[in-house]
Amino acid sequence: MKKNKVASFFLRWEFLLVALLVLMCVVFNLQDAARVASGAARKDVFNLPNVMRGLRPYMLYSFMTMGVMLILAMGDIDISTGAIATLSVVVLGALYNLMGGGPVALVISIIACLATGSLCGAINGFLVTRFKELFPMIITLATQLFFRGFGYLLIGGSTLTFDSTFGVLSKTYELVDIFGLKVPIMVLIFLAVAVVFYVWLHLTSGGRKIFAIGTNATTARYSGLRVDAIKMFCFTLTGFMCAVTGIFFVGANSSSIKADLMDGYHMYAIAAAVLGGFSTDGGKGSVIGAVLSLFIFGIVKIGLGTLFGFADSAVNLAVGVILILSVLIPNISEDLSKYMRVRKQRAETAAAKAAH
Amino acid sequence: MQTKKSSKPLYALLIEHREIPLLAVLILLLVGVSIRVPGYIPNNYVNILKNGSINMVMACGMLCVLLVGSIDISITAVLAFSGALIGKLMGLGVLQSTLLAFLLAIVVGIVVGLVNGLLMSYGRVISIIVTLSTSYIVRALIPMSWMLGMNKVAPTDLAPGFKTVLNQNLTLGPLTLPYLALLAAAVVIVTGIFLKYTKTGRNLYAVGSNAEAAQMRGVHINRVKILAHVICGATAGLAGAMWLAFYNAIEKGSAEGNEMFTIAACVLGGVSVTGGYGKITGVVIGAVMIAVIDQAIPLLGFRNKMITEFIKGILLLFAILLNVILQRIADKQALARRNI
Repeated sequence: MKKNKVASFFLRWEFLLVALLVLMCVVFNLQDAARVASGAARKDVFNLPNVMRGLRPYMLYSFMTMGVMLILAMGDIDISTGAIATLSVVVLGALYNLMGGGPVALVISIIACLATGSLCGAINGFLVTRFKELFPMIITLATQLFFRGFGYLLIGGSTLTFDSTFGVLSKTYELVDIFGLKVPIMVLIFLAVAVVFYVWLHLTSGGRKIFAIGTNATTARYSGLRVDAIKMFCFTLTGFMCAVTGIFFVGANSSSIKADLMDGYHMYAIAAAVLGGFSTDGGKGSVIGAVLSLFIFGIVKIGLGTLFGFADSAVNLAVGVILILSVLIPNISEDLSKYMRVRKQRAETAAAKAAH
Repeated sequence: MQTKKSSKPLYALLIEHREIPLLAVLILLLVGVSIRVPGYIPNNYVNILKNGSINMVMACGMLCVLLVGSIDISITAVLAFSGALIGKLMGLGVLQSTLLAFLLAIVVGIVVGLVNGLLMSYGRVISIIVTLSTSYIVRALIPMSWMLGMNKVAPTDLAPGFKTVLNQNLTLGPLTLPYLALLAAAVVIVTGIFLKYTKTGRNLYAVGSNAEAAQMRGVHINRVKILAHVICGATAGLAGAMWLAFYNAIEKGSAEGNEMFTIAACVLGGVSVTGGYGKITGVVIGAVMIAVIDQAIPLLGFRNKMITEFIKGILLLFAILLNVILQRIADKQALARRNI
């Protein structure tokens, strides 16, 4: 019994992800050392400060992933997240410039940005809960086109630029000193948010309800959960998180805003959540896994890009392979163990027959 | 009594043919555009046919995949990859025959479709995740600077015969029919016959509507699912060759994001995304509708791609919601008639 517990702890998905992360770090460190030794590089580049600095662009969609995660846990899918983020920052920029700048305008427009994101999420949630015959993917595809076009209607093809007060936002992209290690502020905020999500999703009944809906929505409804209200809330929260992602993105992009800012971000967020153990079938996954997989994607991109000199597309190839294997390997190992069990049983029956 | 009798065919028809409301929307759209832009249909039908054909071919494959209850979002990656591969082989002088080029493109598509199908049926990975991953992988293979030294395919790479094969028109009296559209029509007819009149085609519906019942009847579910993905891959590969032959150029980012419009064409046509229901006629109407919107919006004065997508999004939402609401009304009436 005890042995099984230990084994199941080591076979938990989060542990495998940690192992993958460590393995990648070791391989990249060896490659780094080899490059220094052979004289290809003057000094090592794969060290903690550099990785922390390099992680920033890949952590941008982390907040969005937290939202997408909830939706996947409920068995739905949302592909309009990138468009929601874009629309909310467009609202942010347009309102700020309309009000003529200044700190008050900044606060008001940030509130408007978050409200826009939540509203967009609520629209998705409304459509998904009212029209259950339709696959959420189709609904969010339509709303994605709608949100993207709406952002474009607001500011056209122009790039918005801002005065110096607006530059406060780019502080979110800076590094802060913690015990001598420079850590991006964004990562710290994200980790704090992730802890909140972890506690909510795994340790309170509110979070368990979401997994219950994902496992079997009908059963959940019959056991007294207000499925539609919870779905509505989760979609709204996802919209909110998209707006937060948008604000960080503006900070990273030296405070200029265009209407096609975050096209394609939804796929990164979904990929990270899936690697973290969530599935479009719903009902499983963990926040720790999602956080780890965000770091894994970041480090894969840094390592393959800077150390091995692969092109961007080869890095995407690695992401695709990791994604398939992450779902395929548990399934295959399950099949294999079932097969072994059956064979063992058959051998035992044959032996028993022979003994008779 | 009389009214009841006359009302029965209407909703019975609606339950039977979900594409009828869509046809009405399409006609309304065409009428509306024709009023704003006089002579819209006679002047533009060739362009509508040309631009809709590639999407139409992919939609046929997508229909098969949706029927068995899975989805394929790697089709445009397959399109770009197969087109780029045959284009580069032509540029290197390996491949000269047009027919061989088309066949090779289809084979490439079949291979990717087979991988998708195997992973999703025997590997039990959800199709959207499999095809998301394969679309990353296949698109990453396109530049292949380490393989064939190519970044994109330019018109100068192509064999002269290949360049012109699909850019010709067939003239039938006053009608001009582009070869591209004829090829798409052939694919539509073959798919339609396959789905309606062959045993294997009916098995797709059986697996999609109730997999367990199909298995009881002796249908190999996994094989049928793999077959659907293979068909979808083959049409995507064919679409790649068509794209290259029509535009004479292809690059890494070609057609990125267009898979959503292929899915949209199917959904507009009343195909159920959970599997088991869908007709080729609906898909044709859906694909034509998207092509019409694409062609009409610039003529109405909006020359921007984003605005086109905005209007497409609204129309898509409108059409699918209308479909659902009509379906609900029809269901309710059918229930009321049974006096329950």
